[in-house]
Amino acid sequence: MSKFILVLPILFATFFAQSKQISVSVINKLNMPVGNVVVYLTPKIPLQCTLPNKIEIMDQVDTQFLPHILAIQKDTQVRFPNSDSIKHHVYSFSQVKTFELQLYKELQADPLLFSNLGVVELGCNIHDWMLGYIFVVDTPYFGKTDIKGNLIFDLPNGEYQLNVWHPRIQDKVTSLSRQLIVPAESEINIKLRSALLPDVNQYEEISGEFSDYE
Amino acid sequence: MNKTLTSSLAPQSKTLQLLFLSLLLISTKGLAVEVKGLVQLNFVKASEQSSWFEEGTGILAYSKDGANVQQALLQLSDTFSNGLSYDVVANYYQLGEQNLGISQAQISYKPLSSAKLRWRARVGFFYPKLSLENVDTGWLSPFTYTQSAVNSWVGEELRTAGLEVTLFSPGRTRNSPISWEFHGSVFKANDPLGTVISWRGFAMHDRQSLNNDRVPFAPYPSVIGEDRIFHPNYVEPYHELDGNLGFYLGAHVEYYKQSTLRYYYYDNQADPLEVSHERLYAWRTKFHSLALQHKFDGNTRVLGQWLSGSSVMGNRFVYINFDAWYLMLSHKHKAHRISLRFDKFKVREDDVFPWDQNNSDGHGVTLAWRYDLNKNWQVGVEQHINKNSADIRATLGENIQVDQNQSLAVLQYRW
Repeated sequence: MSKFILVLPILFATFFAQSKQISVSVINKLNMPVGNVVVYLTPKIPLQCTLPNKIEIMDQVDTQFLPHILAIQKDTQVRFPNSDSIKHHVYSFSQVKTFELQLYKELQADPLLFSNLGVVELGCNIHDWMLGYIFVVDTPYFGKTDIKGNLIFDLPNGEYQLNVWHPRIQDKVTSLSRQLIVPAESEINIKLRSALLPDVNQYEEISGEFSDYE
Repeated sequence: MNKTLTSSLAPQSKTLQLLFLSLLLISTKGLAVEVKGLVQLNFVKASEQSSWFEEGTGILAYSKDGANVQQALLQLSDTFSNGLSYDVVANYYQLGEQNLGISQAQISYKPLSSAKLRWRARVGFFYPKLSLENVDTGWLSPFTYTQSAVNSWVGEELRTAGLEVTLFSPGRTRNSPISWEFHGSVFKANDPLGTVISWRGFAMHDRQSLNNDRVPFAPYPSVIGEDRIFHPNYVEPYHELDGNLGFYLGAHVEYYKQSTLRYYYYDNQADPLEVSHERLYAWRTKFHSLALQHKFDGNTRVLGQWLSGSSVMGNRFVYINFDAWYLMLSHKHKAHRISLRFDKFKVREDDVFPWDQNNSDGHGVTLAWRYDLNKNWQVGVEQHINKNSADIRATLGENIQVDQNQSLAVLQYRW
């Protein structure tokens, strides 16, 4: 009963909490939109009961990681299926999560739990051109910009810290972070000061097709 | 009595337990072994000129119209977390002398690394990676059934029984579109390499020689005569005759996954004076190989290879210079793949016996259409035509110049 009395105001507050649409856009120093950028807003007051219960997917399709960048909330499980008809040997040397997985065709590997924050760089020891990222954040408010560099959030009122991440962004993380008060602000524009690292995403466009060395 | 029985049974039951555990381990482990297989059944409308398999002088594989098992292979492989892997390809061939055997068997070591500069190595019985044509399971071509003259020869006479070490740098780790690899190998065996192109000349087919195989050819009088070269009318290409180590060096450069260049220099360092009790010679064979591929997009590619080298046996009893190249265009539309290849090849002699004629040359066109019905089944048809000449045919009373045609309809199943 006492538990119920404690939970009731939280439920009440959640139900009546005001929320607002916040639009974020990311552009480079030449004012061109930057897509596929992870944007995440961490509330100043830590949230309760926000543990994710969904298993995310990092697939291997046509000897590429799909998606190229997967953003997840801390303590999310990620499954690594193999949609190719050939074997993969996925690994990460990143401190955030060090692992290796033998992904036989038509065999499911158990999902992995990602409990530390930051970047996990993925490679395949059989197909050296494969490169993927898992970015782990400590908030339920995150997403990736679309091709026009835009992303829209529906955020409850409150104070947040906004951060962005992309493997080609060279700007310091702190220089791009913003403090945000909802509902006072509704449009955030992030302009990168440094040039992006070279775009080598053409590796994704044409990949190996046949099972032997190519 | 019971006690005695129990104690005498105990070691047996322990052995059984151990056996059971081992079997369990093998079967559990067995789940992880990757097994790939491929079978091709064909119906062929053959050329009138009978093939070297029938001791004829034709340069195409089939001598009679009819149905055949064109390819049947099983590939077993596994990769372990310590970076070790193995890969074995076992084949059945209806054509040829050895019908069942191994075409490749290798153990590779590729340590897990995220470094910009990496290395790997392999030992066993394998192909140098000089071909951009033979990229399907079991070194088959996914483009045409009848392979280029260059790689038909590689498949029938060349195999590395040795060690290859590779230094490589994947471009993506350096944020660069350029990836590169350097390969160096030392090997034993493969001393008779060059025999078959010296006498029969280049051919076009998909018959890879197996581990103890024998490649026959026509009984040319200048070859088999006891008062002539006195060599059998076959070659067993993987013998070690002189104890010398051969070597090759290779370099691959790749722009994204779009354009690829591969250069190899191969020298078996054989002693041409060495001869076996079977009267097989060691042939000093050296060549350069340059292969190129460019993918215009995910569906259309152009590829080609040029091979140029020389081979000598005995005290310049046979000395040949050889050149062969092909150019191929391949286009994929949904589940259809259509490939068109032009081949040109030439062997020229410069040796001491005028009665042993080694000059041969020719060119050919191969057009193939292959259609994937689903991920297991594929059907295809191919038309091949060539015009070729070999001076040595005159020693058998045959015309030097021959035109050959071959039509194939192929049903393929892979798993």
